[in-house]
Amino acid sequence: MRNLIHFILKNTHWLLFLFLMFISTLLMVNNNEYQRSKYLTFENEIVGKVYSVADGISSYIGLRTTNRKLMQYISSLETNIQVLEYQLKESNLKLDTTLILSDSTILPFEFIPARILNKNISSTENYITLNKGSNHGVESDMGVLGTPTGGVVGVIWKVSPNFSVVIPVLNSKFRLSCKIKGNNYPGPLVWDRRDIRYATLEELPRHVETHAGDTVVTSGNSAIFPEGIPVGTVDETRKQKNDNFNSIKVRLLTDIGDIDHVLVVKNNFREEQLKLEKETENVN
Amino acid sequence: MSIKWIGRISLFLFLVLLQVWVFNQVHMFGIATPLTYLYFILLLPSSTNRNLLIFLGFILGLSIDFFSYTLGIHAMASTIAGFSRNYSLKLFSPRDMPNEYNPSVRSFGFEVFLKYSGFIILLHHVVYFTVESLSLFDPLSVLMRIAGSFLLTMAVILAFEGINSDILKK
Repeated sequence: MRNLIHFILKNTHWLLFLFLMFISTLLMVNNNEYQRSKYLTFENEIVGKVYSVADGISSYIGLRTTNRKLMQYISSLETNIQVLEYQLKESNLKLDTTLILSDSTILPFEFIPARILNKNISSTENYITLNKGSNHGVESDMGVLGTPTGGVVGVIWKVSPNFSVVIPVLNSKFRLSCKIKGNNYPGPLVWDRRDIRYATLEELPRHVETHAGDTVVTSGNSAIFPEGIPVGTVDETRKQKNDNFNSIKVRLLTDIGDIDHVLVVKNNFREEQLKLEKETENVN
Repeated sequence: MSIKWIGRISLFLFLVLLQVWVFNQVHMFGIATPLTYLYFILLLPSSTNRNLLIFLGFILGLSIDFFSYTLGIHAMASTIAGFSRNYSLKLFSPRDMPNEYNPSVRSFGFEVFLKYSGFIILLHHVVYFTVESLSLFDPLSVLMRIAGSFLLTMAVILAFEGINSDILKK
């Protein structure tokens, strides 16, 4: 007995080492569970505060380029409005009907502008911190688009009163239903964890023809993004191991390393859609 | 004594903030990210209790994890770094050192410090990048990331040492 105690006292550092290794492993395994950490808001708030300090300094550095990009974005939106107004006028003349949007009409999607406070792109599990939180109407599972390109950036993961964390495309937890513009076969878009400029669209049936340069868009199946939001362009088509499917290398439209501003997509009919889908599942 | 501890704690906070504010954003050539927070462990005095070393390593890694949402990975690698510190001292430190000293380029000389810090940093990086990409089996990319990040971390830590010894000289 005395020998045992002596042995333990002599080797406490080994025991402590093994104990802490065990704790780290436990943390690692638990952290991979998506749902569990979704509601840890206090952590999020502290981390957001720390990042906003650094952002307060660094945001001045790129102000000129940011301004220029935003101006370009505004002008492209202006052009779009002009085109749409013109088209509307033309079709009105032909159809002789008017479209009226009253103030009480709920649009399916709304956008909340946000700034990126911190962005990690060096790991295989990357995250982005935004300066908007539940106080501004951001909720988890909302989509995030980059400006000025308008391409998909990621999905909101954790939310605290003033900050939120995004799981970007560049994270192994990310999965988004996408399709190639012009046909309706959806497949999951995932990141292969090697290059931050590319992602992979999987499980596309073999007979669907693809060409380099085709646009990949969101399918709208997930109720996170509207249908038809651009994601990227087809770079290369490869056979998947199980023969009936192709996997497609997609060049992302938004260079996540380069953006400072994003739009959070709020789907006003999401609750309704999910509720209905759940009811249908219950019936089955 | 207490002033020394305040200095250590400020160094700890400084290195953690530097890592999460600056170095975590670095992604050189798409492979290399410097993990310079290890400098804290390298600088701990030779007489530091082994248990304390391991524990500080764990806390250091956990703080980095907290900010990068990668709970456990930095903690594990950094615990191993703390654990290996005294073994590295035993292996590389010159025979004629006094009982208590602070590891640095000044006390060791350049070559010995390079070996001493290289051993700990390499071990840390191997563990960190292997665990990080565990689900992705791509040995070549992991090796590239370990090598690239190791070189970058060493360069930054030697730069720190340069600044540090300049301050001490004055």
